Amino acid sequence: MHAVDDVSLEIEEGTIFGLIGPNGAGKTTLVNLVTGYIRPQSGSIQLQSSPPLAGEGSFRAVELARRPPHAVAGLGVARTFQTLRLYRNLTAIENVLAGMHLRRRDDTLQQLIPVPTFLKEDRRRLQQARELLERVGLPPERFGERRAATLSYGDQRRLEVARALALNPHLLILDEPAAGMNPAEKDRVRALIQQLNQDGLTVLLIDHDMRLVMGVCRHIAVLNFGRKIADGPPATVSQDPAVITAYLGTQAQKTAAHVPGSEEMDVATTSTPASIEPASPLLEVRDLQVSYGAIQAVRGVSFGVAKGEIVALIGANGAGKSTILNSLSGVLRPHSGGARFGDLDLTTAPPDRIVSQGLVQVPEGREILARLTVRENLELGAWARRNGRTAHRDIDGLMKQFPILGQRRDLPAGQLSGGEQQILAIARGLLAQPKLLLLDEPSLGLAPQMVDTVFDVIKKIHNDGVTILLVEQNALRALEIADRAYVVETGRILLSGTGAALRRNPEVQKAYLGG
Amino acid sequence: MDFFIQLFTDPVGFYNQHELLIAQIGINAILAISIFVTFYSGQLTLANAGFMAIGAYTTVIMSLYLPTPLPVDMLVGALLAAAIGFLVGLPVLRLRGVFLAIATIGFVEALRLGVILNVPITGEGQGLKNPSADPLGGILPILISVPILTYLVWRLTHTRLGQAWAAIREDELAASSNGINVPAYKMVAFVISALVAGYAGALETHINFFVDPTEYSVTRTIQILTFAVVGGTTNVIGPIVGAVFLTALPEIVRQFAAYRDVVNGIILILVITLTSSDRLAVCTPSMTCPWKSRKAPSSA
Amino acid sequence: MTQQVLNAIFIGSIYALFAVGYTLVFGVLDVLNLAHSAVFMLGAVVTYSLVALHGMPFLPAAVIAILVCGLLGLLIEFVALRPLRRRNAPPISALISTIGLALIFVAIVEQATSGSLFSWLWQDGANSVRFPTGTVPNPTYHVGGLTIEGTKLGILIISVVLMLVLGYVMRFTQVGRALRAVAENRRAATLLGINVDRIFASTLFVSSALGGLAGLLFGLALSDISPYIGRDQVELKGLAVIVLGGMGSIPGAVLGGYLLGLIEVFAFVRFGSNVEAGVAFAALFLVLVLRPQGLFGARLRERL
Repeated sequence: MHAVDDVSLEIEEGTIFGLIGPNGAGKTTLVNLVTGYIRPQSGSIQLQSSPPLAGEGSFRAVELARRPPHAVAGLGVARTFQTLRLYRNLTAIENVLAGMHLRRRDDTLQQLIPVPTFLKEDRRRLQQARELLERVGLPPERFGERRAATLSYGDQRRLEVARALALNPHLLILDEPAAGMNPAEKDRVRALIQQLNQDGLTVLLIDHDMRLVMGVCRHIAVLNFGRKIADGPPATVSQDPAVITAYLGTQAQKTAAHVPGSEEMDVATTSTPASIEPASPLLEVRDLQVSYGAIQAVRGVSFGVAKGEIVALIGANGAGKSTILNSLSGVLRPHSGGARFGDLDLTTAPPDRIVSQGLVQVPEGREILARLTVRENLELGAWARRNGRTAHRDIDGLMKQFPILGQRRDLPAGQLSGGEQQILAIARGLLAQPKLLLLDEPSLGLAPQMVDTVFDVIKKIHNDGVTILLVEQNALRALEIADRAYVVETGRILLSGTGAALRRNPEVQKAYLGG
Repeated sequence: MDFFIQLFTDPVGFYNQHELLIAQIGINAILAISIFVTFYSGQLTLANAGFMAIGAYTTVIMSLYLPTPLPVDMLVGALLAAAIGFLVGLPVLRLRGVFLAIATIGFVEALRLGVILNVPITGEGQGLKNPSADPLGGILPILISVPILTYLVWRLTHTRLGQAWAAIREDELAASSNGINVPAYKMVAFVISALVAGYAGALETHINFFVDPTEYSVTRTIQILTFAVVGGTTNVIGPIVGAVFLTALPEIVRQFAAYRDVVNGIILILVITLTSSDRLAVCTPSMTCPWKSRKAPSSA
Repeated sequence: MTQQVLNAIFIGSIYALFAVGYTLVFGVLDVLNLAHSAVFMLGAVVTYSLVALHGMPFLPAAVIAILVCGLLGLLIEFVALRPLRRRNAPPISALISTIGLALIFVAIVEQATSGSLFSWLWQDGANSVRFPTGTVPNPTYHVGGLTIEGTKLGILIISVVLMLVLGYVMRFTQVGRALRAVAENRRAATLLGINVDRIFASTLFVSSALGGLAGLLFGLALSDISPYIGRDQVELKGLAVIVLGGMGSIPGAVLGGYLLGLIEVFAFVRFGSNVEAGVAFAALFLVLVLRPQGLFGARLRERL
C-alpha cells in the first residue's frame, strides 16, 4: 500500500501553505512523514532554514527524513494533531511549559535546591508560558490553572497551538485545526492563523474545510490517493476539474462529466423538507444530538426513510454523517433526540437487538475481520439470525452472485483488495437479513472502476427489496442512485430533496468546496 | 483505637513500643517513592523488589568481606542497583503496558531464582547473616531518608525533567512532537527508581539480622504496587500515604490482621473500579501492545 | 532420559491447560487475568474439600469444582473487569483489579482453619495436603523400562483431548468464530449483532473452568494442594508459557506449555533443581525482549 506516493511539495518561507484532499488522500501521512513519526521508503524532506540556535542568515538545508520526532522538533518544526493530543491531566500552563522543553536550559539539578536565584529562571519561564497563552487568545488568569481536559473544544485546539508555538518553531504544521468547530470558532481559528503568519511564522495548514483553506492560504496543493493532483493559488485550484472530481466524485463512466451548478440553476429544485418526508417511515429520526466529549458532532438532525427507498446522506468529511449511523446502530448513544425503527427505540436498544430486528450497518472502512477467512466472515454475518439453517444456502447463493468471494472463500479476508473487501462487507451485512441496510462510505478509498462495481452491487440489492440508507462523500454518485438525499454540514441538515434535484443544486457544491 | 490515643498522649512510649513498625513504614515509604517515579513517567514497571535485592545483598556481602564503612556499602548497593537498572532498561523499556509489567516481573524472578539461589556468595536459599545488623540504630537513617527523598522527588516533578515525564505519561507522541527525547527520559526515571529501591533494600538490611531471598519475590513488588494504587500517583505524597496507611492498617485494626490480604484486595478493587483512572499515572489510554506501538497518530 | 521426557510431557500438559485459559482471556478481552492462578488453586482446594471434608467420590467432586471455578470466572468478569470496561479504563487497570481478587482468594484459603469462617472449604491454613490414598486408582505400567503412572497418563489424555476440543470449537463453530471476531475487532463484532459482553462472560467461564481443572489435576498428580500452588507453581510460569507462545495464541500456549516442560526438565538434568526454578523467567524475559510476538510468530496468532 502506498499511502503517499511520489509527492513533491515546496513550501516557501513566510507563506501559509494549504494541503487539502478528500478523506484518505494521505494528508496526515504526509505530516507524519515530515515530523518523523513514519519513515519514508524513499525520498527526501529538506528544511531550508537556520537552525533555531544559529545566527540569522546562516541558511542551510537539513534532511528531515528518517530523523526521530524529537529531533525534527529540535530543528524547529512544530505540529498539532488532527485528533487532539493535549496532556489532558496537566494544566494549560503545564502543557505550554512541556512544549517549551527545548528552549529551556536543563537546570534540573539546580532546581532541586530552593535558592531564590535559581527559582528566578523558573518564574521567567512561567511568564513566557503565560504570554503564549495570551497570544492564542487564552487569557492565563482565566485558563492557566485549568486542566486541559476541562477546556472547551475550541480552547483545547488553541492550547495545542500555544504548545506548538512554545517550541519557537520555524515551520508550524496545523493538522485540521478547525475540525469539528462551529462557524464562529472557525473564524477565530482563521484570525489566529493570519495573526501568526503576520508575526513571521511559516504555516502548513491541512484541513477539510475548504472555506477556511481557501480564505487563508496563499498557495494550495491537493492530494488524492496519495498523489498530488493540483498545485497553485486558491483561485486556480478551486476551479480545477480534477479537484472538483476528487471532492464530489465522478458519475458513472457512461454519463458525461457533470459538475453541480455548472448549468442553469433551476429555481424550483430546493424543495422544502416537509413536502418530501415519507408519511409512514421505516426509520424515523427526530432532533438527534450526539457528542464526543467536548465536541458536538450532530446538532439536531431529523429525517426519515420509507420502505423501499434509497436515501443518501451526503456532505464533506467531518460533517457528522458516520456519527448519525453509529448512533442508529447503538454503538454511540445520542444525548438527546429520538430514533425509531419500527417498534424499536434505537436510542436505548442494545446493538445486538438492533441487528436482529433488521437494521444492519456496513461500517466505514469495511471493518472486515482480516484474520478470519472470507467464508468465516460470511458465516458470522448470519450470527443474528434466529434460524441458522438457511444461512449456508444463502452464503452459497451470495458466493455465486459475487464470484470473487466464492473464489477466495478460504483466504484470510485481510488479503482481499479494498474493493473486494467492500463487497464482502456488503454481502456479510446482507446475511443478517436486513430490512434496512446502512452503508457508510462504501466507495471510500476505491479506484474508479471499483466504485462502479460497488454502486452496481448497491443498485442490485436495492432491486432485491432492501431499503438503503447511504452515507457518501462521493456526492454525485450517491445522488445518482438515491431516491432522496440530505446534505449534512457541521452536524446539521443543510438541504434536502430528491437525488435528481440536488444534483442540479449549486448549494451542494458550495457545501463541499466552500465556493 | 488505643493505637492513636497512645500516638498523641505518649509519643515517646509509642515510638519505643512500635519501633519496628515505624522502621517498616519508613522502608515502605521509600519503596513507594521508588515506584512513584516510574508511575509518574507513565510506566508500569514491577522490578522494584529485584533492585531491592541488589541493594540489600551488595550491602551485606560488602560488610562481610570488605573493611569499608557501612554507609559506603549502602551507597555502593544503591548505585549497583541503578547500574543494573540501566542495563535492564535498555531492552525492557522498549516494551509498554502489560508487556513491560510482565518483563519486569520476569527480571525479578529470574534474578531471585536464577542468580541469588545459585551463587554461593549470596548464601543461596539460606540467605545471609548480616554482621552489621542494628535494629535500633538502623531506624534513624530511615527516618532521615524519608523526608529528604520525598522532598527531592517532589521538587524533581516540578523541574524540566519532571515536566517531561508528565508529558510522556500523558501522551508519548505529543511529547516527542515537543522535542522530548522519550526513550532517554523513560530511562532516567527507571534508573532513579532502581536507585531508590536499591537504597531501600540497603537500609532494610540494617534493621534485619538476615537477608532472606524470599523477601524479594514478586509478592513484594505487588505490595509496593498496592501502595501506589491506593495512594494515587498524581504527586509523590500519594504513594507514601498509601504505604503508611497499608503498613499500619493491620496494627490499627488487630482483628483484621489475619485477613490483611483480603482487606488489601478489596481496597485495590474498590480503588481501581470506583475512582477515576486519572489519579493513576500509568492508566493512560496510550498503553498498547509493543508491536502495535510504532503506530503513527491516527490518519483521516 | 526418556523417562525425563515423559515427565516433561506430563508437566507440560498441566502448564498448557493452565496457560490456554490465561491466553484465551488475553486474546479475547485484551486483559491479563492475574486471578487465573488463584482459580487454579481453588480448583484443587474445592475438589479436595469435597472429597476429604464432605466425603464425596472423586469424579462428581471434580465436576462440581470445575463448575465452581467457571462461576468464579463470572465473578472475575462482573467484579473486576466489566466495571472497568464501562468506564473505558485502559487494560492495565484490569491487571491491578485481578491482582486484588487473587489476593482475596488466596488469603481466604490461607486463613481457613478448623473452626474458622471458611472451615467448610479448607481447614489446613497455609499447609500443603494431598488427596487421601485411594481417591483415584493409580495403576503403574512398565513399558520397556519406563514407569508410567496411571494418573499421569490420564492427565495427559484429558489435556490433549480438551485442547483438541477447544481447538475444534474455536476453528469450526459459530461461537468460536464469534470469539475470534470479538478478539480481532470489537466494533465490527458489535455491528454484526454479537453481544460482546456475553462473549466476554463465556470466555471467562471457559477459561476459569480450564484453570480449575488444571489445578485439580496438578493437586492429584503432584500430591501438593495448598493456598500457594497457584501463585508459586504456575502463575508466573504460565506467563512465561503464553509469552513463549505469543500472547493471545491458543496453539502457541499449548506448544509453549510443552516447550517449558522440556526446558525445565533439561535444565534440571543438566544443572540441577536450582537452575530449573529460574529458567522459566529467564526465558520469559529473553523472549519478551527479543521477540515480543512470541517464538512461533504472527502466523499462529491468526488462529487465536
